Amino acid sequence: MAEVEFERALERMFARTPDISDAASFADRVQRRLDRGWAARRLLIGSAGVIGGVIGASQLIMSNLFSRAEAASSESARVLTSSVRQIAPQADWLFSRPAGVETVWVAAGLALLALGFVLTRIIEEI
Amino acid sequence: MSRAERHRLSSLHDVELATLAAAGDRQAFGELVRRHGSAVRGLLRRMGASASEADDLAQDAFISAFESISEFRGEGAFAAWVKKIAARACMRRMQRAKRLRDLTAAGADDPAPVAHPDPGGRMDLDEALKALTDGERLCVSLCYGAGLSHGEAAEALNLPLGTVKSHVKRGLDKLRARLAPEDQSVEGRRDNG
Repeated sequence: MAEVEFERALERMFARTPDISDAASFADRVQRRLDRGWAARRLLIGSAGVIGGVIGASQLIMSNLFSRAEAASSESARVLTSSVRQIAPQADWLFSRPAGVETVWVAAGLALLALGFVLTRIIEEI
Repeated sequence: MSRAERHRLSSLHDVELATLAAAGDRQAFGELVRRHGSAVRGLLRRMGASASEADDLAQDAFISAFESISEFRGEGAFAAWVKKIAARACMRRMQRAKRLRDLTAAGADDPAPVAHPDPGGRMDLDEALKALTDGERLCVSLCYGAGLSHGEAAEALNLPLGTVKSHVKRGLDKLRARLAPEDQSVEGRRDNG
């Protein structure tokens, strides 16, 4: 038998599926692992999103950022650049608060993590 | 999963199932596992993994395949793609366990003698593989079972290319000697038919 023929025959022999008795239960075990992994991922995404959202929202509300931003923008509505100049100090003010900075960073980090997961999932879906 | 759903999935081609799995359909991927689980486990066993090791590695390989299913473009067979993932995972595990160097060392212990088949008798691949040293069996399984090129096998095994080629050559010679009676009988039947 020629070398190439033998190699092809060997590949065919390797390709024959062996008869393994617990094939069905093996597939079920893999399926369960997939389901567990998916449930854990969903829980992680949800938790991170909720925690990040709650902390972020509470920080925004407590810092009166909305009212200050609204006031700043209404005062400088004519010129966009002046609005930016008005809002920038507000953001600095927010981050300069000693008690809230770490919390804001934690919230931002968690929100970014959640966003990353969501983006990954969306890319996979696409 | 309902019976109708299972029936629907079982009628789909591997590529269609992979597309569904890439969209997050775990049931579709489960159907792929049902179809190809035994083939992957069989390959791992032929590479020298024990039944339980092969089971663990195959599970990990399928999970890993699901995670990266979007990389499967359907250009080759799904089974071949998963087998490569599984074979590489097996190599990594063996390297971690430091078994690989022993297995692939030149002049490794000769295998236990295997009874030669009766003249004209058939010997199946698994029996014939027992005549090979561990290194030869590993290299032959990687190249002919997992579809790796000699270069890819050398990389996966962290061995020089020449060593892999030598293992494959010696392994093929031994397999040819063992499997030839079957091949000849097959050829003979074809001629007679």
